[in-house]
Amino acid sequence: MKLRLSPQPYEWLDRKQIIEFEFEGEVYEGFKGDVISAALWANGVKTLGRSFKYHRRRGLLSLANHDINALFQSKDYPNIRGDVTPIEDYMSVRAVNTFGSLKHDKGTLVEWIGKFLPVGFYYKAFYSPKFLFPKWESLIRTMAGLGTVDTDWTEERKPKRYLHCDVAVIGAGPSGMAAALKAAEQGVDVCLIDENPVIGGSLDYQFANEPDLGAERKRLKKGIASHPKIQVISSAYVAGYYGDHWLAVNTPQGLIKVSAQAVVVATGVFEQPAVFRNNDLPGVMNASAAQRLISRYAVKPCNTAVVLTANAEGYRAALDMKKAGIEVKAILDTGERHCRCVQEAEKNGLVIYHNAEMVEATGKQSLQGIVFRESGHERALECDGLLMSVGWAPAGAPIYQAGGKFSYDERLEQLLPSQLPDGVFACGRINGVFDIEHRIQDGEQAGLNAALYASDEPVPDSMDLRATQAHSHPYPIWEHEKGKNFVDFDEDLQLKDLKGAIAQGFDNIELMKRFSTIGMGPSQGKHSNMNGIRILAKARGQSIDETGSTTARPMFHPTPVSHLAGMRFRPERLTAMHTFHQRYQAKFMEAGPWLRPEYYRTGLPRKMCIESEVNSVRTSAGLIDVSTLGKLEVFGKDAAELMDRLYTMRMSNMKVGASRYALMVDDSGVVIDDGVAIRYSEEHFYVTTTTTSSDNAYRMIQKKVIEWGLSVTVLNRTGQLAAMNLAGPNSRKILAKLTDLDLSSEAFPYLAMRQATVAGYPVTLIRVGFVGELGYEIHVDSAYGLRVWEAIMKAGEAFTIKPFGVEAQRLLRLEKGHIIVGQDTDGLTNPYEADMGWAVHLKKPYFIGKPSLAKLKEMQSRTLVGFEFLSVQAEDVPLESNLVIEDGEMAGRITSIGYSPVLGKHIGLAMVDVALKEVGTSLQIRLSNGRMVKAKVVETPFYDPQGLLQIPQDPEELSQESVA
Amino acid sequence: MPLRLLKYAWKKPEEEPRFFPDEKPLKKAYDVVIIGGGGHGMACAYYLAKEHGITNVAVLEQGYIGGGNTGRNTTIVRSNYLTAEGVKFYDQSVKLFEDLSDEFDLNIFYSTRGHFTLAHTDSAMRTMRWRAEVNKHYGIDSEVVDVETIKKDIPYMDVQCNGQHPVMGALYHAPGSVARHDAVAWGYARGAQMRGVEIHQKTQVTEIKTQDGKVKGVQTNRGFIEASKVISMVAGSTPRITKMVDMQTPIEVFPLQACVTEPVKPFMNTIVVSGSLHVYVSQSSRGELVMGASVDPAELHSTRSTLDFVEGLTDQMMDLFPFTSRLKIMRQWAGMSDITPDFAPIMGKTDLEGFYLDAGWGTWGFKATPVSGKTMAYTVANDRDHDLIKPFSLSRFEEFALVGEKGAASVGH
Amino acid sequence: MKFVTCPHIGKRALSEFTYGGELRVEPDIETVSDKQWTDYVFHRHSEPKTQQEWWYHRPTGMWFIFTRNTLTDLISQVKVASRGALHEA
Repeated sequence: MKLRLSPQPYEWLDRKQIIEFEFEGEVYEGFKGDVISAALWANGVKTLGRSFKYHRRRGLLSLANHDINALFQSKDYPNIRGDVTPIEDYMSVRAVNTFGSLKHDKGTLVEWIGKFLPVGFYYKAFYSPKFLFPKWESLIRTMAGLGTVDTDWTEERKPKRYLHCDVAVIGAGPSGMAAALKAAEQGVDVCLIDENPVIGGSLDYQFANEPDLGAERKRLKKGIASHPKIQVISSAYVAGYYGDHWLAVNTPQGLIKVSAQAVVVATGVFEQPAVFRNNDLPGVMNASAAQRLISRYAVKPCNTAVVLTANAEGYRAALDMKKAGIEVKAILDTGERHCRCVQEAEKNGLVIYHNAEMVEATGKQSLQGIVFRESGHERALECDGLLMSVGWAPAGAPIYQAGGKFSYDERLEQLLPSQLPDGVFACGRINGVFDIEHRIQDGEQAGLNAALYASDEPVPDSMDLRATQAHSHPYPIWEHEKGKNFVDFDEDLQLKDLKGAIAQGFDNIELMKRFSTIGMGPSQGKHSNMNGIRILAKARGQSIDETGSTTARPMFHPTPVSHLAGMRFRPERLTAMHTFHQRYQAKFMEAGPWLRPEYYRTGLPRKMCIESEVNSVRTSAGLIDVSTLGKLEVFGKDAAELMDRLYTMRMSNMKVGASRYALMVDDSGVVIDDGVAIRYSEEHFYVTTTTTSSDNAYRMIQKKVIEWGLSVTVLNRTGQLAAMNLAGPNSRKILAKLTDLDLSSEAFPYLAMRQATVAGYPVTLIRVGFVGELGYEIHVDSAYGLRVWEAIMKAGEAFTIKPFGVEAQRLLRLEKGHIIVGQDTDGLTNPYEADMGWAVHLKKPYFIGKPSLAKLKEMQSRTLVGFEFLSVQAEDVPLESNLVIEDGEMAGRITSIGYSPVLGKHIGLAMVDVALKEVGTSLQIRLSNGRMVKAKVVETPFYDPQGLLQIPQDPEELSQESVA
Repeated sequence: MPLRLLKYAWKKPEEEPRFFPDEKPLKKAYDVVIIGGGGHGMACAYYLAKEHGITNVAVLEQGYIGGGNTGRNTTIVRSNYLTAEGVKFYDQSVKLFEDLSDEFDLNIFYSTRGHFTLAHTDSAMRTMRWRAEVNKHYGIDSEVVDVETIKKDIPYMDVQCNGQHPVMGALYHAPGSVARHDAVAWGYARGAQMRGVEIHQKTQVTEIKTQDGKVKGVQTNRGFIEASKVISMVAGSTPRITKMVDMQTPIEVFPLQACVTEPVKPFMNTIVVSGSLHVYVSQSSRGELVMGASVDPAELHSTRSTLDFVEGLTDQMMDLFPFTSRLKIMRQWAGMSDITPDFAPIMGKTDLEGFYLDAGWGTWGFKATPVSGKTMAYTVANDRDHDLIKPFSLSRFEEFALVGEKGAASVGH
Repeated sequence: MKFVTCPHIGKRALSEFTYGGELRVEPDIETVSDKQWTDYVFHRHSEPKTQQEWWYHRPTGMWFIFTRNTLTDLISQVKVASRGALHEA
């Protein structure tokens, strides 16, 4: 650790803990608290990475989370940022985007051909001849990209937390600390968020050697640490401001979602690099980066320094260097300055050149010297460090994202917030306040104002404490005929690239950005956008405001997917009978949030399991769990009126104790839902909906009740009630064992509803026949669902009753020609097309979609038909969605198909042109492999067309018949 | 090294030809005014000039070229639609896209990757097969593939979806591609301008003047322009324009968001879409994963970003690609989608003589750029709807002749 | 994340609500013309504006009427949906 300094007053190191880590195969030592880049620098490693395009050697630039050229790869993570990631024992990293190794990178070849690669070069070649493009593209893709993904990496998820506060302060530098303390003193809850592990910001690295500030530093830090109203979130940044003072704060432990009443933006400014030839040589860095290295990590940025400056901050940095034992060869002031710092620099014997201009930096693998111009003379100096202190750009992301605006202040040569959204306050350097006492004062007034705002009290006007002199160079850019003057270090863009883009007409800030890709790299333009704007403004002879700036969208820094996704919360709903299904080896399928048995595994192949379930229903008895149906109860004076308005059929004339099919369409006449409605009493109905639309239907019905002003209450009982369907010729006998209710056809006819006791529990029984057998739908309190189910299974043992799943039910209903909404209908199907005109009562005064249906009735062009398919070749059997072809044109499609064991053939439904609807028509069906097969339109239902089985006159006889 | 690059080595930037000429003052009158300088507007201007010899055309753009949805989409091009109308239309678009680089003398990075639309339910499988069958009928290369095939092509995908909702199969569409969206707009813009079309950026239309049921011209922030033909090609801003002529459309505007990860070396060579998970993803030539989901839940004319979007998307992404949890989201953004009830566009002539609409592009406008430009140019030049766009006329709603693309468009990318 | 201040249950996250579309009045179907009907079913005036909207609060199962600007996303009024509230709107 040859560049390590003696302990610094505010360093972040724990010198007792020495950490060994590996970089590019070599082992280095650092202290706990070091970040990777600092630890490497301490060891004299100056080439931290290679640049994106030309693979030039790069070192430190900001040490503030913008150093995209010092990105590392470990075996577990790509794109690890060296300037903010702490070293850990056994850590092993290498540089990203190198071909070979960091030292011997074959990618440097690109620099040799760089001349042929002007800005946007990829738009200008590689596309002709066309067949070669994939080859070029593959090469370009390989050269692009940074770290490498290992697709075997396992999933990571970090828990999210929520935090509510009155005032959120972003940035714990001098003004942010002052704001937090002041706000807390007003009695409001404050949350202070800072990127760094230690609060203090520039107070600790820019003013480390200011003895006058000692007391103030102590007051702020101690005040914050001891104030019960302040919660500090360190090592955290605001990834995005998302409206209504809702901040996504990213921490190493995961995302914290902070909801505040007011936000103080004390994010400060990003130091901007100067643009000159070889400004990317390792050793050239922002002055603030050098100061961070010294005060945080006690690492010498260099042995011999030159400071290029356009502000007082540069002089202070020069003095800091001297204090750290670095020889400061000269201060190159781009202008002339008269401030305390200049006098102090002179007092310390530092050489100052005024009105200096940069020519170039020189050196092979790292900085060895610089050339500058002063009073018309070119001068050269040897140095291994060049500190750039030429200006600042606002860290304005939260303000932009909150809808605020910035405009350029010509006096400060800096973008300043010109319009702040309600409840957002800015202070400190982002607000153009540079004097350190003023920054604290500005923070205090912002903190006070935010606290007042959060307490709904009037906010007074603030005192203007903005600096009166520029702290930024208006154009810190020096041309050089040989180029290599980099504007964007992420994207490896030189001055000539931007000029090229402008010259080609991309002379609007957004177009320039998109064509050149400036600001589109991982640092999102934090060190390049401002210079880009300056270059464009100058080229066009416009002001900065006329040129405009680009928006800072989330994320502020790239934010881990594992943090954004957080822990999984995906509820699933289980029916009351779920444990039974599990015991019976159900194969579950998802139906909306529910899990339903698709079929029950018996050890036989899937198809045979399903067939056996079907047979059981047709020959004896089966039991299916239909609890997932939506179940709504409707009662009140206008219950019948509501039912009439919601459904296409007339419901108001239904008798108490009866049931009826319920079909629902939307305003445009499209079928959206169906179910069964029953009438408990004059003013009390109960209706089911399809599984997936239960929530929507309930919500929509509630809305309609309000809209229509009806006196009716709708209850969603979906989860409260379990439901099952006992079906099959023996169902009556089984049920008879469990109830006293008279089940005879006279007492309990087809489509009737009865309330009774089954197995000792109160239930509602409906005699319905979706599957086309004698059957009972049983609705019972969820608490008793399993017991009733098991009682039926037990009572059915003698009849070899079987539970059946969704697949068997699908086939059973198909045999009866019943549609499934969403399978046999699509997003535009109306009831006429679904061959359900019988369910539409246009004579009713009103129901949803009536005028549309009146119109659609007259213009029907397609219809659902039943067909049978006689081929015995398994490979000839069409699949659902295979097309019906007529005269070479599409004339329909199969919506349902299945093999009916009872009928001994394949049957199905198809949506076809009306011209093909006649019974006996031959349908030409194109299989997925292109072969054509034929099917024949037949009457539906396919099975028991007269419905005799559902309404057996003499159940004994008929059930025997069907067995035979 | 392609020879084409050699010529740039000796050129100074200033010597390179401008893509776009310097701004000019507005003329008093044009034959055709196109509102909207996105891909569609530029393409329409280009084909008006190139194929119909109509060059006295002004494209008025309130912001900058391609700054709306053209520059905000996730750049997917495909033609595996569900309806006959959709398939025929987008097939033309794909064919035009394939030749654009040569036609423009500009590489639009048209990269054919293959497009998987995953099905996690049997109803999704039915829809996939339906699309495949319709596609094949029109000669489009689409097929339903099983899980084994998916595994072979995307070995790093967790087809079990973390046990939540396993992938059952997919619709595979070999021609599915990505392209550099900006370059498409630039190429059309350059081509149009070379043929005499004027493009005016930062020029906002504030009023459309009509007289006796005919269009007379447009008022802008830079003055009045006379024109007897005005085309609105403004996607998410359509309701603002139709309001100016008191025209009702079924369009509602919803934000559509997207995001990208930090760049990583290439590993994903296909485009993957999952309707059930509301995720679509591809890897750009820069190495970023480009990802999107479905539109936001409520109407809004804004391009603000939400945390809900990026939280939901990343959560779902991890079901398919668990290792992406180690990547970082770099940037998110939004566009404004003009959604129609049947998920098909609204194109062609309107009841107002001289006023043409190209709208209702929802979440699939980019992939229609060339064909919409071409057919709208034909429609305007001949004052007669091009055959391909007849099914998309605004009057279809009154006539209950909707297009029915919705069935397949649970996620329409 | 947006927050909504409900007159009864205070500050709630907007994510608890489901959007139910703009509040629109269905024409009297006895007297409606074809054109008026299709306008109602399909057509919208969806330019940016302040409008009354249906929003469903899932945790309480109640419908609310928001007054919201579709350009700024500013919710200026929140009312429990009732027949009366609709008439006011």
